[in-house]
Amino acid sequence: MSTRSTVHLHDRKAERLVEATLVDGITRAEAEKAEAEWKPYLEEQVKRMEAEGVPKDRWPQHRHWDWRQKQEAADAYLAYRMFGIECQSQMQGLMLVLTAGKDCRIESQKGKPMAYVHFLAAAPWNLATVAPDPRFSLVGSILVATAINLSIEEEFQGRIGLHSLPQADEWYRNSCGMTDLGRDHAVHDLRYFEMTPEQASEFLK
Amino acid sequence: MQTGTPSRKTMTLNLTEAEMQALDELSATKDISKTAVLRQALRLYQMIEVRIARGEKLFFEHDTTKQKAELMVL
Repeated sequence: MSTRSTVHLHDRKAERLVEATLVDGITRAEAEKAEAEWKPYLEEQVKRMEAEGVPKDRWPQHRHWDWRQKQEAADAYLAYRMFGIECQSQMQGLMLVLTAGKDCRIESQKGKPMAYVHFLAAAPWNLATVAPDPRFSLVGSILVATAINLSIEEEFQGRIGLHSLPQADEWYRNSCGMTDLGRDHAVHDLRYFEMTPEQASEFLK
Repeated sequence: MQTGTPSRKTMTLNLTEAEMQALDELSATKDISKTAVLRQALRLYQMIEVRIARGEKLFFEHDTTKQKAELMVL
């Protein structure tokens, strides 16, 4: 069962906040619709980048993610929660969070439970690194804030953790204020980030 | 941006002294309520059950020796 609440995104072109809907509990139909809209756009932009000679390391690193498959896989488990932000009849961002079995590694919180952000992505037309004219900002920030609120609701005091794709390392480190715990050889050598209750509280301000 | 807290139902739980002690210890170690510990346990148990039903096995691997041991689930 999904629930909906109101959030606000920033429309870059109109330079104003616009009303959007935070969906908790993405349905199969919603994931299919998002995938059907995101994938062709991503493919088109990758083709453009290739034609313009943009180096491959600047192509979107999450272009292989299939949100329809992720929704289907996560739907079988109580431990997963999937969120999305809908605006102007399109999904503007999606996030999959694991709420059981993940403990903090950072020394001050070691062994304490946290919400693990398994996947998070803004729609490709919102990414400044992908779209020539990105549409909405604040998508990632709202999804991170949602993960923090979920962590608080689960009594994890705002603790969250995630493995970041290299293109997002700087955003998690500097914009979100998460602690960079270095490369994790067990997870494709991606950098692993955690947020303490204090950092979470700071982020929500 | 509140998450949609699902509606909840209450139940009484009967535990042995040893089970209650384990629950108390987990609650203290993890710094969460006993209800939250049990909710975590249920989610993990349900995840294990789904994966075993799909023909998968659950192993623990020693961090340094890499020795694997299968976890017996019921």
